[in-house]
Amino acid sequence: MTTLETGTVVGAGLDRVDAPLKVTGSAQYPNDFSFPAMAHAALVGSTIAAGRIRSIDVTRAWAAPGVLAVVTHLNAPKLERGPMTLLGGSPPAPLQDDRILHYGQHIGIVVAESAEQARHAARLVRVEYEPAEALLDVNDPRAEIVENPWGLDTERGDVTAGFAQADVVVDETYTTPDNTNNPLGLMATVAYWHGDALTVHDSTQWPHNVRTSLAGIFKVPESGVRVLAPFVGGGFGAGLRVWSHVILTVLAAREVGRPVKLVLTRPEMFTSVGHRPNSVQQIKIGATRDGDLVAIEHHGISSVAMEDDDYEPVSFGSAVSYACPNVLTRDRQARLNIPCPGSMRAPAEGQGNFALESALDEVAHAIGMDPLEIRLRNYAEENPILGLPWSSKALRECFVEGAERFGWSRRTPEPGSMRDGRWIVGYGLAGVSYPFYQVPCQARASVRHDGSAYVRSAATDIGTGTYTVMTQLAAELLGVDVARVRFDLGDSDMPYAPQAGGSGLTGALGNAVHAACRRLVREFLDVVRDDAGSPLHGAALDDVTVTDGRIHRIGDPAQGETYTEILTRHGIEELSADGRSTPPQSEELGMALSGAFGAKFVEVRLDPELGLLRVARVVSVIDGGRILNEKTATSQIIGGTVGGISQAMFEETATDQGTGRIANATFGDYLMPVNADVPDMEVLFVGGPDRATAVGTKGVGEVGLVGLAAAIGNAVFHATGRRIRSLPITIDRLML
Amino acid sequence: MRPFDYVRATDTEQAVAVVSADPHASFLAGGTTQLDLMKDGVLGPERLIDITRLPLGGITHTDSAIQVGALTTMEELAADPVVRERLPFVREALLLGASTQLRNMATIGGNLLQRARCRYFRDPTVAACNKRNPGSGCAAITGIQRMHAILGTSDHCIALHASDVAVPLVALDAIVHVQGANGTRSIPLTQFYLPPGDTPHIENVLQHGELITALEIPLLPETARSHYLKVRDRVSYEFALTSAGVALVIEDGLIQEVRVALGGVGTIPWRAWDAEDVLRGARAGADSFRAAAEAALEGARPLPGTAFKVELAKRTLVRTLETVAGAAS
Repeated sequence: MTTLETGTVVGAGLDRVDAPLKVTGSAQYPNDFSFPAMAHAALVGSTIAAGRIRSIDVTRAWAAPGVLAVVTHLNAPKLERGPMTLLGGSPPAPLQDDRILHYGQHIGIVVAESAEQARHAARLVRVEYEPAEALLDVNDPRAEIVENPWGLDTERGDVTAGFAQADVVVDETYTTPDNTNNPLGLMATVAYWHGDALTVHDSTQWPHNVRTSLAGIFKVPESGVRVLAPFVGGGFGAGLRVWSHVILTVLAAREVGRPVKLVLTRPEMFTSVGHRPNSVQQIKIGATRDGDLVAIEHHGISSVAMEDDDYEPVSFGSAVSYACPNVLTRDRQARLNIPCPGSMRAPAEGQGNFALESALDEVAHAIGMDPLEIRLRNYAEENPILGLPWSSKALRECFVEGAERFGWSRRTPEPGSMRDGRWIVGYGLAGVSYPFYQVPCQARASVRHDGSAYVRSAATDIGTGTYTVMTQLAAELLGVDVARVRFDLGDSDMPYAPQAGGSGLTGALGNAVHAACRRLVREFLDVVRDDAGSPLHGAALDDVTVTDGRIHRIGDPAQGETYTEILTRHGIEELSADGRSTPPQSEELGMALSGAFGAKFVEVRLDPELGLLRVARVVSVIDGGRILNEKTATSQIIGGTVGGISQAMFEETATDQGTGRIANATFGDYLMPVNADVPDMEVLFVGGPDRATAVGTKGVGEVGLVGLAAAIGNAVFHATGRRIRSLPITIDRLML
Repeated sequence: MRPFDYVRATDTEQAVAVVSADPHASFLAGGTTQLDLMKDGVLGPERLIDITRLPLGGITHTDSAIQVGALTTMEELAADPVVRERLPFVREALLLGASTQLRNMATIGGNLLQRARCRYFRDPTVAACNKRNPGSGCAAITGIQRMHAILGTSDHCIALHASDVAVPLVALDAIVHVQGANGTRSIPLTQFYLPPGDTPHIENVLQHGELITALEIPLLPETARSHYLKVRDRVSYEFALTSAGVALVIEDGLIQEVRVALGGVGTIPWRAWDAEDVLRGARAGADSFRAAAEAALEGARPLPGTAFKVELAKRTLVRTLETVAGAAS
């Protein structure tokens, strides 16, 4: 492994390279694509949560103006279920039988000449049901329980013995509600067939998975399937899977023999593309009077769909966050008649951290210790499960630097002791230890005879800045000006890339780009190996460096030549090289692979009579390993912080008992912060490149969100003396 | 969306005649409610009569009132200098509603006629909604209740009237001028809205085809002070959990004139007559304010999901009274 040296291009706050396209409206999102003779589709959703379809009458729908096809389970072709993926099984294939497993389940698709005609006709489909009693409550004793769904339950030491040593034990139940990932861009799919060849524009975070899945579902060669997603209107996890509506659009296109476009409605987004499942968490923490943690026990249960998988090990974070000799974590899932949950920004961590970091605050209060001190006192110097040193960890700096920036020392410990006129002031903090995640990735790099570089991989940029940071990285590694580097993504014909998810893409892709660029430089050296006219002839990769479009010998800039000179002299149009990255292994490295760390400091203002809660300011200090672009990384943390405020104070997907209908499936009713709710947010990065990979990034897409719920809850406690253990923290829970 | 005909009206009388004669026709003004409901499949008019080109805009002033054309937008009304100076709580209520974009489209006539925000009313897949489908029941009563009413409810409907500006307008005894097939009439806003009772689908006293042409808003005495306070989960762009519109004239610590109305709690914009009775002639202060709040909410019929609103509405009113009294003293 050759580590990326600190350069001038990487790290700088370069403006987004795709910004001009976006602000001028020329970036094409999936629903911007239109084709001659394109038809439009609309979905029919079930209005019960459990049971069977007794009859389905499409007569009126068929007779409506412009209708081209109506497909239900009565006339749908047999479809295979999609394959196992990195994220578990694929969602069930739609329209395969008369069973209803959740409200809003797609039970038909209508294709018409216009979107309005399709929607109108979809409303004319008459369905009679044979309803069954729906299981909707995670505590319902009748629900099937999946124990230890991911094999991540942990146990070390002896928690019973540990609690026996404790002077103080906090044993509480924390709950988090369903949240729905709502990228601004409604998920859209445009599909067209040419024989067995299929082209799909889709709001996906993972084009290769869409390609593989659709090829399997429709039994066509994968080589003939092309999936395009150069721009998507956000993701937050909603685009990680090949959902039913994608399959149905492809099916519809084959039915009518024309391109078909489907754009989900906002209410459909609440039942069709995943959500963060609710959780009930029992957390028990024992500590000595001196603040040493002696035992942690964390049990989490989450809701999951009847016939689907979802990765939500909510308690796992409690096993790795602090040094504690006796820890037991257990996760379970309850199968319910709910729409399939899925990863929503910081899955599991977003829920589990709320319980852990709030309960730790309770312990600190119980023993009269500063919440900051108890975290530093129990700092995990090594990975507590593996017993290995971290590949990088600057969480201590996060806490110390954050406390300084925030002015934590001004906090007076007594709840309600800080005021500003009518407002009570509260300070709260939380720590975050985000897990490492990385999966294999590939990229291809080329340099053309004019000296420009072209690098590509089938990744997606869901707004995180992938286009920009990979352009910077390639520019640095090839010594080519950023303006002369083009990085492309979002096309399944490009080299394989994993999903934009798990805060793992930048690491996986960055290291693949690193490998491709290094190999490409070596290709150039190979070309001139026996070229006596080249000042580089015979040079090895470690002998040279790259700047200003040139390769030259280290320490002797005169001994080199440009890419253009080499290619021209040898009559080569362009040289290309492939690179791949594979995740490092802790055992091989002798280091525990580290994700990002962070400390969040929050000041709230509370009007106790009216229950009004305002976040006044947030300081986030993040160890994200190497930061490729300070501006886009800061934006990630800012966006995550807004998401965290949203989780803490606003978001709650409400489900009608009985019918399982989502009761607030619009932006008017499902609350998230508006600008006026978002305070000044300070973001600071500490630490340095992670030692486990060449590029040394750790992924900052999710760490920004985690910790806000606990920090805000802890600040509310500091303001009021009232502990809110159930999210979101709203007026009705705050009126004193 | 169901297919429909679109007609742009050029003459008020003719527009009224067309809609009056056709039970499947509706007026279209700003469209900020009407079009949403059509897209969601809640309303399905076969003919829309666009009245936005009719001469029903503009604001005129007299010494005692302002006359507001029905097509005046919420932003235009908020910007009126007399409203700004003499009716500050009307301006506050306007600007705390919706968003700038919506306020630039929404008309004052349309605002008064806005339909319930109830998600059970607005989702046609919900079978039980007496407002949408008379006699079918009310899913909200056993559903998610948090955003619903606690005053003026019935066993048939608990939907909230969510207008902000209607709150100070009922407090001011504004008058609605309407034109129908049989001529014009004037209706006090306090008698304009109908609580749901056992006919939740009938929301006001207008006959089909009657068109609001103007709104007359009496001015407050120059010595009056007023304020509109809106309490909600987020700072902007949300309907009220509770709100209060208050105008007071206080002399020597005694309340000489009082107007109180509540929002976020009523099936109609809620004039708090009982609170006014408590306050009129009373000494402005914590005791009379709390007594007024108790009186205002005495008839509340909360459900489990709205129980918190009773106390929140009282505190909202007390805070508003304190604010106005503080400014008046």
